[in-house]
Amino acid sequence: MVVSLNPDLSVDLAPENVRELRLANPIIAASGCFGYGLEYSHVIDVQRLGAFVSKGVTPRPRSGNPMPRIAESPAGMLNAIGLQNPGVHGFIKKYPRIWETWQVPGIVNISAEAVDDYAMMARLLDEQPGISAIEVNVSCPNIARGGYCFGWDAEMSADVTRAVRAATTLPVIVKLSPGAVDIAEVGRAVEAAGADAISLINTFVGMAIDPRTRRPILANVTGGVSGPAIKPMAVRMVYQVAAAVGIPVIGMGGISCLDDVLEFLFAGASAVQIGTAIFVQPSLLMRLIDELSAWMIAEQVSTIGEIVGAALPKIDTTTNGAMEAMQVAAG
Amino acid sequence: MVDLESDIGLQPATFGAVVSASEFSSPIVGVEPVMGDAVLLTVTVPAAMAESVRPGHFFDLLCRLDGSFDPLLRRPYSVFRSDPRHQTLTFLVRPFGRGSAWLVSRTVGASLELLGPLGNTYTIAPKSRNLLMVAGGVGAAPLVMLTDRAVAQGLNVTFLMGSADGPGLLSPSMLPSVVEYQVATDDGSKGHHGFVTDLVGDYVRSHWPDQVFACGPESMYRSLRGAVNPHRTGRRPTVQVSMERTMACGLGACLGCVVETRHGMQASCVQGPVYDMDEIVW
Repeated sequence: MVVSLNPDLSVDLAPENVRELRLANPIIAASGCFGYGLEYSHVIDVQRLGAFVSKGVTPRPRSGNPMPRIAESPAGMLNAIGLQNPGVHGFIKKYPRIWETWQVPGIVNISAEAVDDYAMMARLLDEQPGISAIEVNVSCPNIARGGYCFGWDAEMSADVTRAVRAATTLPVIVKLSPGAVDIAEVGRAVEAAGADAISLINTFVGMAIDPRTRRPILANVTGGVSGPAIKPMAVRMVYQVAAAVGIPVIGMGGISCLDDVLEFLFAGASAVQIGTAIFVQPSLLMRLIDELSAWMIAEQVSTIGEIVGAALPKIDTTTNGAMEAMQVAAG
Repeated sequence: MVDLESDIGLQPATFGAVVSASEFSSPIVGVEPVMGDAVLLTVTVPAAMAESVRPGHFFDLLCRLDGSFDPLLRRPYSVFRSDPRHQTLTFLVRPFGRGSAWLVSRTVGASLELLGPLGNTYTIAPKSRNLLMVAGGVGAAPLVMLTDRAVAQGLNVTFLMGSADGPGLLSPSMLPSVVEYQVATDDGSKGHHGFVTDLVGDYVRSHWPDQVFACGPESMYRSLRGAVNPHRTGRRPTVQVSMERTMACGLGACLGCVVETRHGMQASCVQGPVYDMDEIVW
């Protein structure tokens, strides 16, 4: 019997990229829930994380939406922050030189409303120190296409991915929108367009109305739903995309405990992002790393790779196995 | 045009020192009914933390049973009293929604999950002698702590308090005896029949207060501006208000609790909750 006393929690999220994206463990703090890393640096040991993703950065500074910006929902929350951020130039002025001194990989999340703007930001970030990867948020309206969300369409998602890919040699992660009609198709399209990894899912568009005032609670009317409430949909989408692509998948959506982390890994994710749960318990991030390590020892699992996709249909050379995998990917 | 530094929620707090927050659980050692249906909830904390807490600081309290996700988010509560000698912190909680209803039903011996201390603090200017407190309902919490500190420094304090009805008022026994205490009720059952801000004008007209400190709903701040502004001499008295916002992270990361100021949108959990009234875009 082999007893693994020191399980290897490390994961490689950009195996084809020479600039690499090697994480000490698969626990990543999600975009929008962790500021720029500094906000939590006095509350938890940020350096222990596998990585963290910055709040969404845009081509120009944005002051965000009017208040109220958040509302609670059953086992979840809605947010309509409106990408309040200092813009890519403001970001570059402040954070790369801080992140450069950190051990933990910092990933920049970028959002734009035009393909050229995504490319412009990727070009600027490519030359900066302290940035380990770019996460491309395609859940934005495409102004050139009448505001139709990039991420809902495979071709538009691929256009953004190609433009970013051409503008940087940094590892590129494309963050998929759950609003896509066929999320596996979007996954395949961004893989073909040069993405190193795929992360999913972003929030679902939702709304809440105050029964007393008879008006929407959020000033923006609609907002993104996150939290435990969206987890089953997220697991399903990660499972479908992981079956459809060959590049690493990063799963997220309502993760609140170790069992949730394992669920996403079994569904085919090589790493996970934690978002809303950080607001409630910042220490959860540290606990998940410790608990995952303890679980691997107890279960005699020596590498993360051994369990990634455990729930996926076995892909064998027989016609039936291949058919089953295709059906999963097709939903 | 947005101000870059303030826009990202990292500008140093306007008032008071920001102390390091921590996430911890703590046993409840006191649940005391006050002000009608409200309670004073007391928990034990390390002496150093009780020592570091200042009037205006708040803690994010988790308001749900283990294993449940409802309510999802923590609730922010200002500190009512901090006692380094007994190593306790006390919060004033009135049941408004699901989170606060859960909190008031806690019993002694139960454990409470806290994140804090968070935010900035009320600041008494070095030359101030006369302080006017304006409290709306459970907004009295941080002003009681501020009053205790001010009286201990030998300053003069007048405490104005408004409530829906008589039972909702703070008992005078909870304030130092040297404090002048005036009340207003919506139903006229005690004190002035009307808003607490109706009582403010006389004090400002006679140039008594050097500073005004307020805590209550935003509607109270709007009438406070109306009561103070016509009688001010220059910026005197200055007015500090604690802004109430729905919050998620409490640490300036989510930007869900912003307040629009002259310097841009600021995360009220870090750069607030206490602001100079004149800095806010009303």
